Amino acid sequence: MNGDLIRLDNIEKTYMVGQIPVNALRGLTLAVTQREYLAIMGPSGSGKSTLMNIIGCLDVPSKGSYHLDGNDVSAMNDDQLAAIRNRKIGFVFQTFNLLPRATALGNVEVPLVYAGISAKTRRERATSVLERVGLSDRIHHKPAQLSGGQRQRVAVARALVNRPSVILADEPTGNLDSKTGAEIMDLFQELADAGNTIITVTHDPMVAKKARRVVRLVDGTVAEDTIQ
Amino acid sequence: MFSSVPERLRSSYESLRQHKTRSILTILGIIIGITTVIALQSMVNGLNKTVERQFKSLGADMISVNLHEWGIRFGPRMRKPRPRLTMDDSEAIGELCPSVATVAPTLYEHQRLRYGSHTMGGVEVVGTTEPFTRIENYELDYGRFLTKADISRRKDVTVLGFDAAQGLFGAEQSLGKRIRIGSRAYEVIGVLKEKGAIFGESLDELVIIPATTFEKQFGRLRTVNISVLPIDRAHAVAAREEIRILLRRRRKVSPGDPDNFAINTAQQLVDQYKQLTGVIFAAMVGIGGLSLLVGGIGIMNIMLVSVTERTREIGIRKALGATRREIRFQFLTEAVILCGIGGIIGVLLGVGLAILTARLSSVPAAATPGTILIGLTFSSSVGLVFGALPAIRAARLNPIDALRHE
Repeated sequence: MNGDLIRLDNIEKTYMVGQIPVNALRGLTLAVTQREYLAIMGPSGSGKSTLMNIIGCLDVPSKGSYHLDGNDVSAMNDDQLAAIRNRKIGFVFQTFNLLPRATALGNVEVPLVYAGISAKTRRERATSVLERVGLSDRIHHKPAQLSGGQRQRVAVARALVNRPSVILADEPTGNLDSKTGAEIMDLFQELADAGNTIITVTHDPMVAKKARRVVRLVDGTVAEDTIQ
Repeated sequence: MFSSVPERLRSSYESLRQHKTRSILTILGIIIGITTVIALQSMVNGLNKTVERQFKSLGADMISVNLHEWGIRFGPRMRKPRPRLTMDDSEAIGELCPSVATVAPTLYEHQRLRYGSHTMGGVEVVGTTEPFTRIENYELDYGRFLTKADISRRKDVTVLGFDAAQGLFGAEQSLGKRIRIGSRAYEVIGVLKEKGAIFGESLDELVIIPATTFEKQFGRLRTVNISVLPIDRAHAVAAREEIRILLRRRRKVSPGDPDNFAINTAQQLVDQYKQLTGVIFAAMVGIGGLSLLVGGIGIMNIMLVSVTERTREIGIRKALGATRREIRFQFLTEAVILCGIGGIIGVLLGVGLAILTARLSSVPAAATPGTILIGLTFSSSVGLVFGALPAIRAARLNPIDALRHE
């Protein structure tokens, strides 16, 4: 139990939609160990996004406890959550979510800026991560000058740069054509092989197939948990 | 946990540069406010300097007895005609007031001067007696001043003010030459040193002739202005009171009635001037403050728009680990930089206007470092105050909603 990187116990999340309470998660329990490559699947409304937000510390559960890397996240305030997001989580979004005015390098440096790392170190680390995702010749390009696949690579580099405990990918290939999507999945495979913990949320079976473990959500709880 | 300040400044500057036109329009109010404050403050400064110098030249201890009070009257002017002051009044003050050192009656007339082919129109002709220069603080450049004999014998002699001498003679020697004042010829016996101007009016465009000759040429019916010098500064109040009692008696003012004459001092002008600049200063603060307020509201508006436009950016930054404080700081920095730029432009325009004023007028307007500092501090504070609400709003955004924002 103590070896778990992520430990969700009996998580409940209730939203108010107007006057009506909606239970997005109902007593969900899930443990993820280090170096796991996990896909979370489920139909829309199953609670995938909510779970993603809670794991990513963008949101806190209404009930239940969440431990990330030994820290009780469910009791944290806004700024503590921000610090956890900065140090422990690397986000990859479906829509890339790059800052349009910043270069590839600038985008990758952002998490390091908030980590209070010096400009010189930032530059070195960001450059080396961009090299690792195969963009060494694109570091001074702005997002608008990059293809979809290249943008997602910048996003992956940004997720990696602060050496997070877990990489959270939300439909990472959703906005890419199948060939580019496959390339990004190969990149994830590489990262997983190198020992990174990856959690990806998807409804694309092709994406899920790459993961070593697949968790299916139905109505806010884990309906199926399989190792492939 | 806090990123470096240069990093902030660069990123804020970048985001403002994206919307150049919008940014400039936004800070227009700030620019106008700061320009107004700096320019007006410079002008008031310049006026103050001039007036200080001028009051010194006027003769600080001099008392002037006139029919009416000096200076600008605020409000309607309702004057009863007053009986004139006479040469006898002047003499009586000199003889009967123990605190008075000297007295000089002065009569005024504007006349055309002529020397050969040179003429000057509308020059002030002063009819007076020999203590005049001492009381009024004029110095002789060369030649001599009026003597008792000039007065008693009603001589046709004149002492030229600096401007009059320049206008008629230029570099030419004037002593002993004969000039025409109106229809009468006078011999030049002396020339005065330059004294300068007060409220833009030259004190050197005058010619001085004996009071007796003045009355012979221009008649005896005008009122006499009486210039008085007390024994010393300590006797100034006593001298004024003695003159007042004497004149009330001579002019048969009933007890309880107000004076039908005025005892003026340079201090009165100083007070009037202070009142005037006080009004200007209040107006300046009002106009400047109003523009800054309007400018500040503009800043707040545009920053709120900016926060909405960049909701997604805020979401991304939060997801990547920005704390509320970081986001707040980012938007506050932007507002302060925006206003700071407005302040700098305003200061430059204000200083420019001051220089232009100094060039085109006699007011030596000059912005002081203090004014500039206040201008910059004020404009930045406007950014801080009016940027606060948008910044707080940005910091409070929920990262999930912000990330979903299109």
